[in-house]
Amino acid sequence: MSKVDTIIAELEAISKNPKKAMDDFKAKTGKGAVGVLPVYAPEEIVYATGYLPIGVWGGKKQISKAATYLPAFACSIMQSIMEMEIDGVYDELAAVLISSPCDTLKCFGQKWKGKSPVIQFVHSQNRNIEASNTFMVEEYKVIREKLEKILGVTITDEAINNAIEIYNENRAVMRMFSDVVAMYPQIIDPIKRHAVIKARQFMDKAEHTKMVRELIAEIMKEAVVPYKGKKIVLTGIMAEPDELLDVFKEFDIAVVADDLAQETRQFRTDVPAGTDPMERLAKQWQNMTACSLATDRDKPRGQFIVDLVKKHGADAVIICMMKFCDPEEYDYPIMLEDFEKANIKNLKIEIDQQSVSMEQIRTRVQSFVEMM
Amino acid sequence: MYVLGLDVGSASSKVVILDDDKNIVSFSTVQVGTGSTGPARALEEVFKKTNGLKIEDMTKIVATGYGRYAFEKADKQISEISCHAKGIFHLVPTARTIIDIGGQDAKAIRLDSRGAVSQFFMNDKCAAGTGRFLDVMARVLEIEITDMAEYDSRASEVVNVSSTCTVFAESEVISHLSNNIPKENIIAGIHASVASKACGLAYRTGLEDDIVMGGGVAQNAGVVRAISRELRRPVIVAPNPQITGALGAALFAYDEAKKH
Repeated sequence: MSKVDTIIAELEAISKNPKKAMDDFKAKTGKGAVGVLPVYAPEEIVYATGYLPIGVWGGKKQISKAATYLPAFACSIMQSIMEMEIDGVYDELAAVLISSPCDTLKCFGQKWKGKSPVIQFVHSQNRNIEASNTFMVEEYKVIREKLEKILGVTITDEAINNAIEIYNENRAVMRMFSDVVAMYPQIIDPIKRHAVIKARQFMDKAEHTKMVRELIAEIMKEAVVPYKGKKIVLTGIMAEPDELLDVFKEFDIAVVADDLAQETRQFRTDVPAGTDPMERLAKQWQNMTACSLATDRDKPRGQFIVDLVKKHGADAVIICMMKFCDPEEYDYPIMLEDFEKANIKNLKIEIDQQSVSMEQIRTRVQSFVEMM
Repeated sequence: MYVLGLDVGSASSKVVILDDDKNIVSFSTVQVGTGSTGPARALEEVFKKTNGLKIEDMTKIVATGYGRYAFEKADKQISEISCHAKGIFHLVPTARTIIDIGGQDAKAIRLDSRGAVSQFFMNDKCAAGTGRFLDVMARVLEIEITDMAEYDSRASEVVNVSSTCTVFAESEVISHLSNNIPKENIIAGIHASVASKACGLAYRTGLEDDIVMGGGVAQNAGVVRAISRELRRPVIVAPNPQITGALGAALFAYDEAKKH
């Protein structure tokens, strides 16, 4: 097994077994984990406690009990999280952080059915005024105080600033990884790419950075060769389950960049420099751009993706539309217009974590490849 | 030289055989689709209509439709979007927008002047606005699906029938029936409901003329009228609309055969 395969296999194993990642972390540090629900949260504050921030983005799960608390039109991420929280899957988490960027999440934080204490917070939407920063600082202060109380720790400014540096370094390495994948799609297929990115949700970011840095160095020893298949940019909330990525592989589709909320949007925007860590974290939210969950009257997301396509010489865009995700559905017609104007081929597929049959998606993807 | 196109849909199986001049030598349709005896029966039927042709006489075979990978004798599998586009453009070269409603899905396809697909949209995982929706409604109304167009033509008004969910729409139809609303008007409402779903997809293509309908549901003149009314444009129905996918597959098989 090559060094590249070994590192990827390790990251893939972590990405598929967050429970083990949490147990290993506990055994090593004596501390537990704090769950972080989609989409954005100041993970650095959690990291500064010494606990492991762990992504909670649902998974493939038969839904039955969740229907007691959620309407049928809640997205599948929320359905599966609710099902698993009722089943006690998250009860070992020391706390759970829940933001409120959409209607479902807004209500979700108010009816957590697991045993872990919940810390709910709100992102400001009038982001281009200074009051936004003031508001976010206050929200993050509440998170900090609640974490201190729940976990019985003191969180220093120094620890948060240190966490910010570790996170910014990971963000930079992940952006580099994404660009390297675009150069070597024959080595990193869509499933491997997703696994490397997803593993960062369940790992100490410093360790993840180290492994990805090593992976990049190994990949770059190889020669860059022309890719025989089609290169695409993904956008949406997430590109799961893996069976979907298998369909991409089946038709020689390489993911050369993404704008997925679960992937690149997590590391696209650095926390800016400064001294007060809370102000720095607040300003990161202000700097966030091209996201369906962050109000921006200029609607730059379509053009942002068009630029990604041009930068990486991609053949097209695939819109991974999370079923029942209002914010993404509202962005779609605007993006579509931008893609049409730029003459960029695009395909919309429906994402449902609970999908058991990929046939409808296979037909669309095959048609799309034939169209290109 | 003969080539064969097989379209194994969710609700029916269709086969077309072409000769060296792209003439249709024979075609067949059987109203059961993938996972059934439909494909085998459609093949048996299509050869029966020829002067002794056998599957071994086919230079190339292309399969399309939901069950395209289940037919082992195919030389190639091509998606139904490409096949419907190819088949319809062959029949109607002025086609720029295709609306295709099959048993389980609805599609809107935009073509360029060479007949190449430049954009397409398909329905989400929902039976509303598909052939299956009409099957369910015909059963509730206790009429044959083939009679729906005629009922529609006698309608004095179009009643409101939901386009969001087949099951809810079914209970709406039952409610209309129990209120003694004439079947004709209910059926016109059902057709309008199917039309609104299909047109929702078609609007996204930009709606360039000519607009051509294919797929089994295009045989229902009531749905065609409802779509034309919704789009405020004339809608051309492709000849033998149910076999346009199989015809496209046969044309792809023809191209493959000529390559070698």
